[in-house]
Amino acid sequence: MIDTSASFRFKKTIGMSMMWALLIFAAFPTIWVLIMSLREDSVIFEPFWESPLAVTLDNYFKITRSDFPRALMNSFICAGLSTLLAMIVGVPAGFALAKSRVSGKFYASWLLLLLRMAPPVGFVIPLFLLYVNAGLIDTYFGLIVAYMTLTLPLIVWSMWNSFAQVPDELIEAAIMDGASLFKAFLLVALPAARPGAVAAAILGFLIVWNDFFYALIITRSSTVTAPVAVMNFISYDSVDWGSIAVASIALTLPILPLMVIANRYIVQSLSGAVKG
Amino acid sequence: MTKQSKPTPGATAQLERRYKAMLLPALFAVGLFALIPLAGMIALSFSDYHLMRGTKWEFDFDNFVRLFSDRRLSQSIYAMSILSFFGVAAQVIIGAAIAIGLSKIVSTKWRMGRVFFLLPYAVPHVAVALIWLSLFTPTLSPVNAFFDLFGITVPSFLTTQNGALFAIIMADTWTNFPFTMLIVLAALQGISPDLEEAASLDGASRVQSFFFITLPLLVPAFLMVTLFRFIDSLKHFPMIFVMTKGGPGRSTQATNYYAYIQTFQNSNVAYGAAIAVSLFIVAAVISFYVARLNQRITS
Repeated sequence: MIDTSASFRFKKTIGMSMMWALLIFAAFPTIWVLIMSLREDSVIFEPFWESPLAVTLDNYFKITRSDFPRALMNSFICAGLSTLLAMIVGVPAGFALAKSRVSGKFYASWLLLLLRMAPPVGFVIPLFLLYVNAGLIDTYFGLIVAYMTLTLPLIVWSMWNSFAQVPDELIEAAIMDGASLFKAFLLVALPAARPGAVAAAILGFLIVWNDFFYALIITRSSTVTAPVAVMNFISYDSVDWGSIAVASIALTLPILPLMVIANRYIVQSLSGAVKG
Repeated sequence: MTKQSKPTPGATAQLERRYKAMLLPALFAVGLFALIPLAGMIALSFSDYHLMRGTKWEFDFDNFVRLFSDRRLSQSIYAMSILSFFGVAAQVIIGAAIAIGLSKIVSTKWRMGRVFFLLPYAVPHVAVALIWLSLFTPTLSPVNAFFDLFGITVPSFLTTQNGALFAIIMADTWTNFPFTMLIVLAALQGISPDLEEAASLDGASRVQSFFFITLPLLVPAFLMVTLFRFIDSLKHFPMIFVMTKGGPGRSTQATNYYAYIQTFQNSNVAYGAAIAVSLFIVAAVISFYVARLNQRITS
C-alpha cells in the first residue's frame, strides 16, 4: 500500500527537514574545524565568508615545529603498550570466565563493570600520592600502569563476551583430542574469537587515546600525551586557535579508521551479553 | 545436552584448576592496579591528609560529616544533575531521531550523511571541548557572525550560569549522540519488517504502526543506552576543564570536577577522597543493577 496523499507528503517533508537540521548540527563543527585550521592568523577573527581566499597551510607547518608531534608519539606509545599488556593478561582471563565453572562469576562481572564506571578521580588520588613518593610522576612506566586500570576491565569484559559466543563443543573436542587447555585456548578458541579480540584491542586503544584526566595529573612534560599537550596552545593572554584546530584534527584522524572498524562492536558489547 | 561422553570428575577438576591459572594474572593485575588504589582512596577518605597544612594521620568520619554541610558539594550535585539529565535526554532523543530517520525516512540514501553522523563520536573529548569553546567564543564563532548579518546579537553563553551549563550539554550531546544512534539502529535492524507489514494489513497507518509496534520494541535499547550514558555523565571532566573551568562562579563544577578541585587545587586530599568515595558508592550501586540486569538477560 503506497501512500501518496498530501498528508503523507507533508509528513515526509517535515521528516526530511528534521534530518537536514540534524545533519547540519552533526557536520557543522567538523567543517568549522577544517575551516579554522586553514585560516590565516591575521583573519581568524573575521567571518570566513568575508575573506574566503585567506587560506594557508601555515598552521599545519607550525605545529610540526612545536612539541605536539612528540605528545602524539607519547599517546601512541602509552595507548599501544597499555593495550598490549592488558590483552596479554586479559584475554586468557576472559576465556576462563566464559568457559570455566568457577564460582563468583556474578561478582567478577560486577567488579569489572564497577571498574569501568567508577569515577577516575578515585583511582587518580591514591596513584598520584604513590607516584610522587615513588618517583613515577612523568614516567612512561607510571602512565602505562595507570592506564591498565582503564584497559584491563574493558578487555576482560569484552573477551568474556566474545568467548561466550564460541561453542563449548569446539573446546571440548580439542581437549578430547588430547590438547591441553592452553593449546585449546590458543589454537581453537582464540582464532574463533578473533574479531572480538581485534575489537577489544581497538576499544582499549581508544579509551587511552581519549584520556585527558590521568595524563593531566600524572604527566608533567616529557611524557605528556596529546590531549593534555593541546592545552599548551592556550596561554594566559591568548589562544592559538589555528594550532588548536590542527591539533584537534591530528587527534582525531589516527583513530578514525579504528572507530569505523569498532563501531559495530560497540553495539555488540552492549547488546550481546555475558553468559552467567 | 549433547550425547558426548562426559570427562571423568578428576579430569574436570584438573581442567578447572587450569582455568583458574589463566585467571590468576588478571586477578593479580586488577588487585595491584585497581583494588590497591581503591583501598588507598578509602583509607585517605577517613584521614586528615592535606598537602599544605600538614597531616597528623588521624582517622575519623570528619570528612563524611562535612559532606552533609558543604554548600559547594550540594551546588556541584545540582550542576551534575543538570548536566546528566539534560545531556542524556538530548543524546537519547537526537540519537534515536537520527537512527529512526536513517532507517525510515532516508533509508538507503545518505551514505555520506551516515559518516557525518558517526564522526563526532570519534573526536576525543578534549578536541570536542575546544571546538565547542571556539563556537561559543563570541569574537571567533561563525554562529555569532552569521546572526550578526541579521542584526541579531547571540548572547555570550559561557559567562552566564545557565548558558555555561547549556554549552557543556551541547558539546557533550554532539559527541555522544552517535552512541545512541548506533544502538537504536542495531535495535531497529533486529525488528522483523513482517511485524509492521502485518500491522499495515490490519489497517494501521505507518505512523500508527511505528508508535504502537516499533517504538515499544525499542524500549530495552533505550533503557540500556540511558543507563550507560548516565553512568558516563557522572564522570564529566574534560569539557568542564576546557570550556568553563567550573565557572562562571562555581556553576559548572560537577561533583567529579569538585573532587579534583578539592584534591589538586585546595590540596585537601582527604576531603577530595571522601567525595570520590561517595561517587564510587553511587557507581557501585548502579553497576550492581547493571550486572544483575545483564545476568537476567542471558539466563
